[in-house]
Amino acid sequence: MVEHIVPATLAEALEAIADGKKEVIAGGTDLMVQRRKGAGRLPDFPDGLVYLFDLDELKYVRKTADALHIGAMTPLEELLKHPHVPNLLKTIIAEMASPALRRVATIAGNIANASPAGDSLIYLYLIDANVKLISASGERSLPIHEIITGPKTTCLTKQEIIVEITIPIHRFTHERFKKIGPRRSDAISKASFAAAAFIEEDIIRDFRVAFGAVSATVVRCKDIEETLKGTRVDALKEASRSIIERYASHIRPIDDQRSNKVYRKTVSTNLLADFIATL
Amino acid sequence: MPDISKAVPKLDEEEKMSGRAVYVDDIDIPGMYFARTVRSTVAKGRIVKIDVPKLPKDYHIIDHTDIPAKNVVKMIFDDWPVFAEEKVTHIGDPIMLVVGKDRAVIDDICENIAIEYAEEEPVFDFRDSAVDYRFEKGDAKKAFERTARHIEYTYRTGYQEQAYIEPQGFVAYREQGRITLIGSIQCPYYVKNAVLDTLGCGEDDVRVKQAVVGGAFGGKEEYPSVMACQLAVAVKKLNVPIKLVFGREEDMEVTTKRHPSTITLRAAIAEDNTVAALDAHIKLDGGAYLGLSNVVLSRSMLAVTAAYTIENLNVAGDVYLTNTVPNGAFRGFGAPQMIYAIEMFMHHIAKDLGEDVLEFRLKHLAKQGDMTATSGHFHEPIIMPALIERAMEMSDYRRKASTYAKDESNHGIGMSWFFHGCGFTGSGEADHIKAEVKLEKDIEDKVHIHVAAVDMGQGSKTTLAKVVAETLGIPLADVVIDNPDTDFVPDSGPTVASRTAMVVGGLLARAGQRLKSEWVSGETVVVIEKYKQPDHIRWDDEKFHGDAYPAYSWGVNVVEVEVDPHTYEVRVENVTSAYDGGKALDERIVLGQADGGIAQGVAYGYLEVMEHDKGKLKQRNLTDYMIPTAVDTAPTRTYLFDNPYALGPFGAKGFGELTLVGGAPALALAVEMAIGRKVTKIPVTPEVIMELMKHGKH
Repeated sequence: MVEHIVPATLAEALEAIADGKKEVIAGGTDLMVQRRKGAGRLPDFPDGLVYLFDLDELKYVRKTADALHIGAMTPLEELLKHPHVPNLLKTIIAEMASPALRRVATIAGNIANASPAGDSLIYLYLIDANVKLISASGERSLPIHEIITGPKTTCLTKQEIIVEITIPIHRFTHERFKKIGPRRSDAISKASFAAAAFIEEDIIRDFRVAFGAVSATVVRCKDIEETLKGTRVDALKEASRSIIERYASHIRPIDDQRSNKVYRKTVSTNLLADFIATL
Repeated sequence: MPDISKAVPKLDEEEKMSGRAVYVDDIDIPGMYFARTVRSTVAKGRIVKIDVPKLPKDYHIIDHTDIPAKNVVKMIFDDWPVFAEEKVTHIGDPIMLVVGKDRAVIDDICENIAIEYAEEEPVFDFRDSAVDYRFEKGDAKKAFERTARHIEYTYRTGYQEQAYIEPQGFVAYREQGRITLIGSIQCPYYVKNAVLDTLGCGEDDVRVKQAVVGGAFGGKEEYPSVMACQLAVAVKKLNVPIKLVFGREEDMEVTTKRHPSTITLRAAIAEDNTVAALDAHIKLDGGAYLGLSNVVLSRSMLAVTAAYTIENLNVAGDVYLTNTVPNGAFRGFGAPQMIYAIEMFMHHIAKDLGEDVLEFRLKHLAKQGDMTATSGHFHEPIIMPALIERAMEMSDYRRKASTYAKDESNHGIGMSWFFHGCGFTGSGEADHIKAEVKLEKDIEDKVHIHVAAVDMGQGSKTTLAKVVAETLGIPLADVVIDNPDTDFVPDSGPTVASRTAMVVGGLLARAGQRLKSEWVSGETVVVIEKYKQPDHIRWDDEKFHGDAYPAYSWGVNVVEVEVDPHTYEVRVENVTSAYDGGKALDERIVLGQADGGIAQGVAYGYLEVMEHDKGKLKQRNLTDYMIPTAVDTAPTRTYLFDNPYALGPFGAKGFGELTLVGGAPALALAVEMAIGRKVTKIPVTPEVIMELMKHGKH
């Protein structure tokens, strides 16, 4: 008989996974699908589950002077309504899945699933979010790009739980998000694009771009961004073609059942060109 | 008499909304077993060896050796086996059933069955024609010889998956020596007749009942016969109740789809810039077995000129066998491919000739009395000019079309004109279906409708009951209609071809008239009515000559889109439609058909992508195969015109398929206008639009 546990507290949850055997499940919107069986059978979790979604202590949004702290079990739909959540993140969440799924889906789940097409991830990369992990033996906090180690892989151990996502507060004058889904709701991204810039007196002070679903993980090239900071807007616009060329080698999409690599690469660079052109 | 079009609550509304409706998977019989199908994993080959692990007690294998009579699923041709014997023809070809009580154990057995194949080179292109039809009208050859200007285009369409809400399934059991099958089906008698042939038993030995059906769209026309035959063989051998229900992925991988097509059209242009002759070659991908493909092909060919009259025609059609999933019935049944092609072609000719597209099309629009493509006649009034005017007015078509064609707004508007032939093709109703309906008045003066028509969500229970109630002048509550059971209902034919309202409803109206005259209160009165071909309808099936359909429904769709210049995504902004379906038997039900049909038709044009890679479908679930959500569905306005057909009940003609067939061309024409490039292939996805925009204009 497989044992599944529904802990009432985080402490109980950590104890339940301390031996590294059981799997952790939050909203289940990815896992339940991935473990599906044929007609009339339940999804398969042979080692047992620890169901975290009832942990109210992990459902919060707190604002400090320089960051926003999101509890790992906060459903996406609540973030959508929360006054402290940045508009760019809300724009992204509004295009994720559907209202029903968003009531149980979480950002933490998007991180743990580590799909290159995970829509909230593109924001976390863009904004340099940190992720706090906790286990019975301690806690650690890592930037998102160190948490996600490849497509569908993370550095989380089986004794660890994601407890909080920290979003640094930045000032931007320009923000952009575009999800290219095969349809307008309930769709997995073919590609996605997020960008933000801070322009002061015609000078680029901050410039950041992230691409989703076009490589093993979200693509963000800080080295390119650094070279653009301090340039004038018109100079940036003039250099648009060469900037795109520098990004091009990092955009390495695949052909699959949802789209093809030529399309993914073309629209990704089109969106970057359009972002630069409209700064 | 009140207007029959006035909407009433659907008779099945309460049971469905409350969750009490019993679908196949809800049926649980004590001691019931389950079955799962073991299928070919290669596209073409011979089975060399099958290793079945030692089966636990009470687990069984059922294969072709268990079939009492013929290893054929009765359809039109005898090419579709119940179970593969030595050869397999596509990935998913059924080889055997594993039957037992625990689904986990069954899955385990299936995973441990090892099948060795001698693989052969599969065919995926149009090489092996299995059906080859052709017909002529006038003298196309002469017209081509006499004209200097000829225009040719080739159009391609992809698969479409029915994506009904409920996957296919049956429960079957033995009762007093007979086999009863309860299924999610459109055609109870197709299933019964197929099972009779496979078991080789007598008429009374098989009973087929319809469970509540969660959508069908043609997908439950012929495929259920395959499952029913397999399950009947198992029940006959094992003598236990068995359930065979597909999950979504198995359903999508193995059940029939809309035929991908390649249609080449060539026009001879007369000196006054009209089409003097049309040469058409329609090629359909039949998949691994023919099934109903020849009938689908004939409906494609009969729609060759759609809403237009062209004097000289040379029409050829082929169904090619390929080593892929068999294709089959789907709302529209061959017409959507053809109507898409001819509508694009008429626009492309006009553009190439430098003619005003609207004027050019109007010059060719069919009128009452014109000769149809098969040299029959449009006997009934054609009110297309009124439909076109209304649709153009409500969508502001004229102004938008002239603005969008010139500006850089990335907006486009497209308008399709079309008909749909109502009922079976040609003499099919009289020669093959021979529909029969029964009305039975009981001693309490309640009237029971006995027909084989299935309510799969399209509302036929309600509309047919309304026809009977209105004819008899009795309250709707005094009319009883249950899901068909072949033990009680005569064969009123399959629930297909937009025939239920017009043909079955027409027979019920006639039966109602007779019952009215024979009515004796407090006594049982039974009336049976059989189909008779209208005298003025003549059809030669061999030559494709004469009146292909007794009546036609007509329609206009206008679709407006915006194409994103950076991502090439299509956003459907609004849809306006006008239809002549004779007379709506229930306005809300008809508008429901219209909303669903146009959404499915438009999505066929840009959204629903299904492709295979060496015979393996790439989109096998509803995450990867895109049907429109409510968010994708544009605001839709529909105008219904009355144009009563004398032989339809209260004037009704067919409506169910009409609302789908014009969606894709209207969409594709709108995209064409938005991007300023000709579209010849659907679905016109962002990936396709990107290519079109890259390779220059025209």
